[in-house]
Amino acid sequence: MQLVINSRGSYLKKQQNCFLVKNEDKVFEVSANKVESILITTSATITTDAIKFAVENNIDIVFLDHFGDPYGRVWHSKLGSTVLIRRKQLEIANKEQGFKLARGWIEIKINNQIEFLKDLKKNRPEKREEMDEYITNINTMIHKLLELDGVLDEARGTIMGIEGMSSRHYFNALSYIMPEKWKFEGRSRNPAVDEFNCLLNYGYGVLYSMVEKACILSGLDPYVGFMHTDNYNKKSLVFDLIEMYRIHVDRTVVNLFSKRKVKEEYFDKIPNGLSLNKEGKALLIQSLNEALDQSIGYHGRNIKIRNTIQYDCHKIANELIK
Amino acid sequence: MLVWVIYDIADDPIRKKVSDKCKNYGLYRVQKSVFLGDLNANQRDSLAIECEDLIDPEVDSVYIFPMDDESFRKVKLIGQAFDKELVSDEVLTTFF
Repeated sequence: MQLVINSRGSYLKKQQNCFLVKNEDKVFEVSANKVESILITTSATITTDAIKFAVENNIDIVFLDHFGDPYGRVWHSKLGSTVLIRRKQLEIANKEQGFKLARGWIEIKINNQIEFLKDLKKNRPEKREEMDEYITNINTMIHKLLELDGVLDEARGTIMGIEGMSSRHYFNALSYIMPEKWKFEGRSRNPAVDEFNCLLNYGYGVLYSMVEKACILSGLDPYVGFMHTDNYNKKSLVFDLIEMYRIHVDRTVVNLFSKRKVKEEYFDKIPNGLSLNKEGKALLIQSLNEALDQSIGYHGRNIKIRNTIQYDCHKIANELIK
Repeated sequence: MLVWVIYDIADDPIRKKVSDKCKNYGLYRVQKSVFLGDLNANQRDSLAIECEDLIDPEVDSVYIFPMDDESFRKVKLIGQAFDKELVSDEVLTTFF
């Protein structure tokens, strides 16, 4: 299970082979065998014993900020894999191989968006025509993307442009199918100006931490990206790879709205926007975990969605050192 | 596979040691001397060996019963029931 600490002032310690969390009025004890990861979304106290214990058991402790972005994680101080993968990663970044990889990721992302819109269209016959229009628009973007050729340095701007345009159509389509009360105007972050973006940003934040973990485990350098350029502390590869998985957060969030699970009480007003509070975070993280626990077909077998991230990263790493 | 651990142990400190063992392996206490949870075959075997080392075989007893999912679905809970989802590892997220 994922242990989420979201009550202010909770205290996490190690007790024998278990983690023990407590606050003023309750205690929860769970064996390390049962915990996959620990997510800390609020102010809490952890003992160094508990940190060491988590590291020894390969349980990562992730700290999320107000917007759901991971601002830190506790992980062992080893590299996790061979440096050869990182060398190769740098080598191919400006070759055709790098270009094809990056283009493939964006292609997957845009195809996911089309698939999702088609699914949404099925249950909303009265909105079919408009939805078809959005889908056609995104389809043209895919064709443009597949025509591209060359190396990343030249094509980067074009790819980014195509991706941006298709996302604009996509989010317009999502806003179009939203219940009247929850419609939104495009994407906004830090802070989100509406409830939809608020949930979406938080979900993406949780996803970032999962993608980063998968990179580290497979020996890929999270900082050496292809689509995204280098910058101080910019996890470019995480930004590149997350594009393929955003759809799982999108689906979760849209589902929450269409099933009327979202309530106004889940959001707190902050200067210039909204932030998700304790109840809202609990709803989102729980639904996201349920969604990621579903199995899907993956290269001829069925695996859980959350594991596809790790498999993909291992595959990329293995290709690099072939 | 789900495993029931049921014991009858005369000596207090030894009983505490056995219950700690069960807890550390990830079993949940469902009654005073009854633990339940999902363990793999290896964990089940090593728990058995560790319990064997702790108890006095002349007076104490520890039973370790594996149970398949189908039977677990037929379990009837009367009165103060335990959390069926928690013990069978169906709880994906725990908030605290």
